[in-house]
Amino acid sequence: MSTDPPIEPSQDLVMAHRIEDSTSAASDRFVFTPPIDIFETADGLVLRADLPGVSLESLELQIQDNRLTLFGRVETLLPEDAVTLHREFEVGDFLRSFILSDEVDYDRITARLSHGVLEVELPRAAQAEPRRIQVNAE
Amino acid sequence: MAVFRLGQSWDPLRDLEREVDRLLQGVNLTFHGVRTGRQYPAVNLHESANEYILTSELPSTAPEDLDLTIANGVLTMSGQRRDESEIPEDRFRRQERPRGPWKRSLPLPERIQEDELSADFHNGVLVVRLPKAPQEEPRQIPITSE
Repeated sequence: MSTDPPIEPSQDLVMAHRIEDSTSAASDRFVFTPPIDIFETADGLVLRADLPGVSLESLELQIQDNRLTLFGRVETLLPEDAVTLHREFEVGDFLRSFILSDEVDYDRITARLSHGVLEVELPRAAQAEPRRIQVNAE
Repeated sequence: MAVFRLGQSWDPLRDLEREVDRLLQGVNLTFHGVRTGRQYPAVNLHESANEYILTSELPSTAPEDLDLTIANGVLTMSGQRRDESEIPEDRFRRQERPRGPWKRSLPLPERIQEDELSADFHNGVLVVRLPKAPQEEPRQIPITSE
């Protein structure tokens, strides 16, 4: 039985993206790692991420191999002629990825977005039944 | 204390602050709000030709849990993040998001039309629009001499 945690935030992709992003032409955007909560329920795990400013259309959630990646693009809501008088936070996109273990049933993952919070449900996979292997004698 | 000091020249300070921000971003810190001591929620203030625009990121807050009041030139924002207390503490594998109620008061710029203030709250981002009061014509003050 594997002792890996079922889901583990991974950092390497975030860094890779930042480097890639800084060399591209339109590099004047910030990419933030959103804060997340992960908690257990009876059915599996729930992930919640704060993604203020991300809409359904601008959110990408994908699984490749065992990596779950969320990317949310944030559009600025300001008129063109607006100048900033005071700034306490930067506006940028959100990116974070996670490594899922086999404990998660990939096919039943669901997600919803409300009030700037993404909630991903990661149901636990049904335990594989022990299988009897027939041994044949020659 | 409050951070709005419109009309005062503090641009050098702002540039410095922005530069420090950029440096911190450059070392790839993985969370928001590196500088502690900031009040929650963080706000930005912008100015366009005919209005001031206040923006704030308030994820996990339902519009009905957000309260905006204005009195004597001070805008008070208060609210609370969605109650998640039904989740037992020992169920958490990871807990990074802030929680609980918050409140912040901001002195507003002068010469705004308080009655015309409007707020829009979408995808966890609050945008408050503060229309500027029309510029008054200079008034001639009659001088009398005897």
